Amino acid sequence: MLGRRGSLRFLAVPPFAWLILLFVAPLLLAILISFRGERGPIDFGSLLQLSTLQYAKVVDSPVWLRLLGISGVMALIVALGATMLAFPIAYFLAFRARHRAPIFLILLLVPAATSFLMRVMAWKLLLGSSGAINSFLLWTGLIQEPIGLLLYSQAAVVITLIYVWTPFAALPIYGALQRIDRSHLEAAADLGSGPWSRFWRVTIPLSLPGVLATFFMVFIPTVGEYVTPFLVGGTDGIMYGNLIQDFFTRAGNWPLGSALAVIMLVVTVALVGLALRVVNLRRAVA
Amino acid sequence: MTARTRRIRRGAIGVGNTRLPLGPAYAVLLLFLYLPIVLLAIFSFSANTSLSFPLKGFSLEWYGRAFGDAALLAAARNSLVVATVAGTIATALGFAVSMAVLRFRFAGRRLLLALAAAPLVVPFVVLGVALFLLFNLLGVPRSLLTVALGHSVVALPYATLILLSRIIGLDPALEDAAMDLGASYPTTLRRVILPLVGPSLLSAWLTSFIVSFDEVALANFLAGGDPTFPVFLYGQLRFAGRIPVLIAMAVLLMTGTIILTLIANRLRSRHA
Amino acid sequence: MPAQFGLARKALAILAGSMVLLAACAAPNKLLVLEWSGYEDPDFWTDFQTANPDSAVTFEIGSSDADVLGKMEAGSQADVFHFYTGWQQLIVDAGVAKEIDTSKLTNWDKVPDSFKELGQVDGKQYFVPWDWGFTSILYNTDEVAGVDSWDVLFDPAYAGHISMWDDGPAAVTVSSYIHGWDETAITDAQLAQAEQEWKDQKDLNFHYWTDEYADLCPDVESGDIWIAYAWQGCYADRLYAEQAVAYANPVEGRNSWVGMYGINADTANYDLALEFLDMKLATLTCGNLPTLFYYGCVNQEVMDAIDDPVLVEAFGIDDPSILESTNFTPPVTDAQREAWTEMWANVKAD
Repeated sequence: MLGRRGSLRFLAVPPFAWLILLFVAPLLLAILISFRGERGPIDFGSLLQLSTLQYAKVVDSPVWLRLLGISGVMALIVALGATMLAFPIAYFLAFRARHRAPIFLILLLVPAATSFLMRVMAWKLLLGSSGAINSFLLWTGLIQEPIGLLLYSQAAVVITLIYVWTPFAALPIYGALQRIDRSHLEAAADLGSGPWSRFWRVTIPLSLPGVLATFFMVFIPTVGEYVTPFLVGGTDGIMYGNLIQDFFTRAGNWPLGSALAVIMLVVTVALVGLALRVVNLRRAVA
Repeated sequence: MTARTRRIRRGAIGVGNTRLPLGPAYAVLLLFLYLPIVLLAIFSFSANTSLSFPLKGFSLEWYGRAFGDAALLAAARNSLVVATVAGTIATALGFAVSMAVLRFRFAGRRLLLALAAAPLVVPFVVLGVALFLLFNLLGVPRSLLTVALGHSVVALPYATLILLSRIIGLDPALEDAAMDLGASYPTTLRRVILPLVGPSLLSAWLTSFIVSFDEVALANFLAGGDPTFPVFLYGQLRFAGRIPVLIAMAVLLMTGTIILTLIANRLRSRHA
Repeated sequence: MPAQFGLARKALAILAGSMVLLAACAAPNKLLVLEWSGYEDPDFWTDFQTANPDSAVTFEIGSSDADVLGKMEAGSQADVFHFYTGWQQLIVDAGVAKEIDTSKLTNWDKVPDSFKELGQVDGKQYFVPWDWGFTSILYNTDEVAGVDSWDVLFDPAYAGHISMWDDGPAAVTVSSYIHGWDETAITDAQLAQAEQEWKDQKDLNFHYWTDEYADLCPDVESGDIWIAYAWQGCYADRLYAEQAVAYANPVEGRNSWVGMYGINADTANYDLALEFLDMKLATLTCGNLPTLFYYGCVNQEVMDAIDDPVLVEAFGIDDPSILESTNFTPPVTDAQREAWTEMWANVKAD
């Protein structure tokens, strides 16, 4: 009979193998490519001819690194916004909806299964300068000129990203809230704690791993986001991910694109490592 | 019992005495989420040939054409299959990672967790190109399978995070109790843990499915001759006249997704 | 696996089964074409399909010329690939193209010599031209009195209503027209000047457009964009919709681009690929370009037969002076192109 210990390899080995083959190996390849001197055919003989040319180019273009900083700040705002909006939703699911939560959850996630492109097209219809929202506001006389910044601006990118992320952000928080043992709260109530006090002193601390998981789950990929800035960012709302995307697909310059991506990777990992140290999530997981 | 404790006990613990409009908050979010969808659905039933007001009457023409469009149906089917495979792999691996990391101590434990979360940090386009080159090197022809493999990697962090948040709160005593009663560990997992984390497994799977379904950067690089739905979509946008048919298909797919997950939820709660 | 993993084993079997199914869908195709989005539509290879109903043609999508070259260089299995003027030398130098045996092309004589020459490198016919069009300035005549130079794209009088295509080399081309520079020999100083000018121009844009029909044309229709760097596709589309627009004939001349097809040097289906290209030039297939996409087709018979007044207007068929002053995109080196895309990245990131 298979005991605990013996089962470990069935649990740990498949993910390890999968990730090493399909993630680590390609990533190493991408890093190698970032050390190429020139764009052009990649034959595996020339893979080891290293050059720091691409990194030198990045250093020579401080605007690109500044854009990384701006993207980081935008990602921070999006992560904070999504986490804060998601918390009441997750709370609702865990404590109010309880047994019916799965249905409410599904309802929340299903819109995400519709093509993002189509949803943005529909939103553009509403938000554009001749769209429904502006038409309505003009008609009521609340504004004299159509509001331009609803679309094709940095604000539009941030709002859209928060909007897209909030349903997903609710999931880890919901998971964490769901597993809070009611008896902790009952005990607190028995000891005379009021509802807000219970919330701050029991619920929030116990939900912290979920909240942090959510924050990082949103923050990290958003730094490299490019689809939303591409669709609604206009000339102002561009993010670092667009640079990477442009160099890969428009310019066919894989080495430079990879170098930019590696830099973003290193910075993000460093930031997250720092943040984890501060928050000491490891203690929760250990 | 004093009057105060009676009042607290009667309400749901945690929210019983708060007057926070959580339900309405949820409803408002749902409204915003569905607004563009409703709009798309309206247009799919209208006779309009472009996404602009005013509406020009009711028509089922687009749905009729969607069903008759073999390429469109093939692309939709491709995406469904790819997303299902990718979602299943990601959920299974995410579960394995969560259990391994939370219930065992072994060398490389933290590394496994970091690796499982790491695909989040890498832009899809970079992973796409790198996997493209890797598959070339290994002589693997590009196909829907390679897309599914790529998607399973990018969806894994989401599945892992969701399941991790859930399993971290499971009392290990449950497993110990089951094993004390004579169950093997795999049986314990299957009959004790899985049912408990059911909703989280569902949301992990659904999230992974969604991540894969709408993903375009990887699919562009890793697909061979058969396009996935979003890749097909981007291509068809050039034909302004085809947009209503595409919208009709998108609405159909979403409706199908709702129905399927509702069924899955029904089955799950029946077995709970 | 141990017996207790019964359920897991079943699940694994189902998963493996579906993966095999997926891989099987990738059964060797007869012909694989690396195409631009939209052209995989059967209307654009309909003659080939009629002549070869049993041949399976499938498509990989490339998102830009650089992407197409990159994929071919990285060993794409595509038998046929499609790209646009300016890249011919680069593609031949990369060794990914096979010479075209024009004696086997039944429709070759319908292609004017000027187009044929564009597909030649070092005297050899490597490419078959197919689609072509103009690039000029599309403008809304209700808001803009008239346009006679490319520099209207920089005119602050139209701030917020201009739209440039999101492409570095295109931006450099426009700058070279305005300043009278030699496009094949842009100096560092000229590039720096162009960079600054485009940075200053950035705020005048409503946005940079990336897709003709998905974002440029709807915004021209809604009146958000009054002036745009555009191909004639949207012009024809707007004329059909009877919107008051015009397509400029700037003093510096319009630009023209030609799309062409190459055959993969490593292809195993040379004859089939050749037939595919031949059928591309056939009347019906080539004719679908102007009627469905509003792009020009190199088959002269097709172009001569156009009598739709909108298309005649869009292609300037009645006015030969237009073609005389038109600039065709010259080939540029890899290094130049890299510098130009980096310049644009600087402008976008600013």
